Amino acid sequence: MIAAQGAFLHGAAQAAITILLAGMVLVLWRMVKGPTAADRVVAMDLLSVLVVAFLVTLSIHTGQATYLDVAIAFACIAFLGTIALARFIERASRPADENSASDNPQGQDRSQGGPYD
Amino acid sequence: MPLLMLNFFIAAVFTLLLGSTRISAFIVGFMLGYFILWVSSPLYPDTRYFKKLPKTLNLTAYFLTELLISNFRVAWDVITPGHISQPGIIGVPLKARTSLEIFLVSNLVSLTPGTLSVDLSEDDKILYVHVMFLEDVEQTRSQIIQGLERRILEVTR
Amino acid sequence: MTEYIAAIFLILGSLFCLIAALGVIRLPDTLTRMHAATKAGSLGAGLVALSHAVFFQDSGIFLRAVFIIALLLLTAPVAAHLIARASYRSGVPLSGRTKIDELKKK
Repeated sequence: MIAAQGAFLHGAAQAAITILLAGMVLVLWRMVKGPTAADRVVAMDLLSVLVVAFLVTLSIHTGQATYLDVAIAFACIAFLGTIALARFIERASRPADENSASDNPQGQDRSQGGPYD
Repeated sequence: MPLLMLNFFIAAVFTLLLGSTRISAFIVGFMLGYFILWVSSPLYPDTRYFKKLPKTLNLTAYFLTELLISNFRVAWDVITPGHISQPGIIGVPLKARTSLEIFLVSNLVSLTPGTLSVDLSEDDKILYVHVMFLEDVEQTRSQIIQGLERRILEVTR
Repeated sequence: MTEYIAAIFLILGSLFCLIAALGVIRLPDTLTRMHAATKAGSLGAGLVALSHAVFFQDSGIFLRAVFIIALLLLTAPVAAHLIARASYRSGVPLSGRTKIDELKKK
């Protein structure tokens, strides 16, 4: 599908994957620690961008163009998730609904935040 | 924008005629198509396509350079120990009226120099912007209006 | 030649992603963290996609990479605006360094 690629770019892709994984660990730390729900949503938004970059790098590394399609689909879905969480925070913080602006959104961070809580 | 579609069509035909799948062929075809349309421009008396395209390119170039500069500045604040940032929220009166213009202004504000659009007033006239390096309030405000909004309005109007 | 350009873009893009992650850790309050997350994050991912497009000049892959960049540049500010408004309205405290808050006066 893709022509044979040089060893230099291959090494660069490996370095980039390492850097991106380090970034993901840092973001996950903010997600666990984040004092407010908004901080956690920011961290999740950045995490999804990092995952998109990671998928594109993986596509360079393996030479499989299919990963690009995965990245496109993931970017769309992550955007919808971020929007939903932002609206949720905004509604939960209305004075009419006083119980816990900060407790419920944590429950929403289920997939990434779960194992670290 | 029928001329824009025509220009893309010429580029696509040029690419197919070459039998190539490379993107450079498409770009050459687009430039060739622009030249052809420009030569034949007396045929389309009331089009603003030839004025708008350079202005769109101007906006894009301005936006990309600002994106790079702002990123290096934020990166510098993140890497060096201690903080040099002076955040603040200012209100910017908008001249943009239609929803497309407001959308473009608030999105590009979010992507350029240390600014982030936070809220829009009820009557859509004031955009509240969070600024990361706020040295002079009036200067930052006029920078957003003169630098960014003026260029966007040149393209959309 | 294109290989070296692509490699430079790739490393630069991933470094910007790392800077975004560091910014989310280091900066003082939610709104300044969002500055790092939106701008450095989308620029980094955009550079990585650009590197892919530069190296494999095949038009199908190029179109997909351009689509990814456009998607990032379109969705990142919208999401940032919504999160910023939500966090401001839910009363997230601003950093002590904040100079002026014109939104509060209303």
